Amino acid sequence: MPMIQRRQVIPGDVVAKGNYRFGSYIERHGDEYVALRVGIAEILRDEIKLSPLTGPYLPRTDDEVIGKVVDVNGFGWVVDINSCFDGFLPASFVFGRDFSPATHDLSSKFKVGDIIGTRIESFERSRDPQLSIRGQGYGKIESGEIVKISPTKVPRIIGRRGAMINLINERTGCDIKVGQNGVVVVDGSPEGIVKAVKAIRLVEEETRAPDLISKVEEALGGSAVGGI
Amino acid sequence: MSMMKNYVVETIRKAQMVQLLANGKRLDERALDQPRELKIETGVIPKANGSARVTLGNTEVIAGVKIATGIPFPDTPDKGILMVNAEILPMSSPYAEAGPPSEDAIELARVTDRGIRESEMVDMGKLSLIPGKTVIAVFVDCNVMNVDGNLFDATSYAVVSALRTAKMKKYVIKDDKVEATDELIPVPVETTPVSVTIARIGDRLVVDPNAEEEASMDMRITITTDDNGNICASQKGEASTITPEQVLQAADVSIKVGKAIRAQIIEATK
Repeated sequence: MPMIQRRQVIPGDVVAKGNYRFGSYIERHGDEYVALRVGIAEILRDEIKLSPLTGPYLPRTDDEVIGKVVDVNGFGWVVDINSCFDGFLPASFVFGRDFSPATHDLSSKFKVGDIIGTRIESFERSRDPQLSIRGQGYGKIESGEIVKISPTKVPRIIGRRGAMINLINERTGCDIKVGQNGVVVVDGSPEGIVKAVKAIRLVEEETRAPDLISKVEEALGGSAVGGI
Repeated sequence: MSMMKNYVVETIRKAQMVQLLANGKRLDERALDQPRELKIETGVIPKANGSARVTLGNTEVIAGVKIATGIPFPDTPDKGILMVNAEILPMSSPYAEAGPPSEDAIELARVTDRGIRESEMVDMGKLSLIPGKTVIAVFVDCNVMNVDGNLFDATSYAVVSALRTAKMKKYVIKDDKVEATDELIPVPVETTPVSVTIARIGDRLVVDPNAEEEASMDMRITITTDDNGNICASQKGEASTITPEQVLQAADVSIKVGKAIRAQIIEATK
């Protein structure tokens, strides 16, 4: 495992000097890499990452998000994706090319208030993000408990290669859907949901704890409930 | 509130709410007739004659009292002036907008004002200085800082708490002229009106609805009671109707819940 250096940074801090690959919230000035947000900078061998402590969800193409339908018009659905932008799901993406507002009833597919799992098809800052439900596992979510967390904490809920989410799923028997926008839907038995929501809240509170996964494991109790 | 109509409750969340209500439970684990936690802080604005900050769950309201002399209204020459106004700040909710007062803000101010006025909380006769010429005017201004449902009750508690702790200058009459002295006296408060808002979701009545419940309700009724448990003001809102039985049930609940809240307001404004 490569040496990982972690450091708290504020906007303007020079995270590292040299030659690195870098992600969002970092700018390059000459050979200096400057932080743009308050957060934790991770300096790996050839890459630097910055995870902000807090912040809104900014849509990115191909992100899987969970949204709430807030309006239906003649051409599609307006979806609240927990961001400063409203997502738009065009009717033609759902009904296919031969969609016509005269023959298709949009409300029969999704109503105002429905929760849908979608993918961001395209987004540029001059226009609202366009959503799509093409593909496996997208579409209306029929049941479950909605939990909202800070979008910056989504990676911790999922864990390394899905370790955290698998652990919670195993121990509570709940199906957990996580949107990159910080919306989580937990579905399962009532007791399982209560436990899973508690675990998610724990992850959210203790995001920066060193051995988070064993903490969650402890909180969830020993034995696996599995398949209720 | 029509403002909250913009707030969309998730279909699956609403289904949960309706299912729980059928078993006499609520999403936030309150009983049907249990209001949220009420916190009252008085004297938050040093320059005002009286002030209070009230939080009811996540709903937060600040009220300030300004007392001055003024000319009485021609139809009540021997009575003081009382005016309650309320504003919903744009920062308080994503659905509140800047600009002229919205329909909701106007209804909020009027319902709060009515509760205070009709309960005769402030003895208006004692606010008269020279009948027909000069009386004491009491202005109460409220600002909603955060919206999470039931603005009516939170605002009403803030106004009542501010008035109960307000101090005004003692005025004396010398040679037919009103003069202010340095002595500070309390506002003549006779009773402590308590407003209780009840929402109907499906066929269930719930006390102190939060934003989610307000967005799902089909009817609400606000009832204000005084120290003796007499109903002195009420307001029904939203499009749906209410049955006579529900009115009586709501009245009973508002008297019962009002009693506990009144004790809390009196304790906080001693």
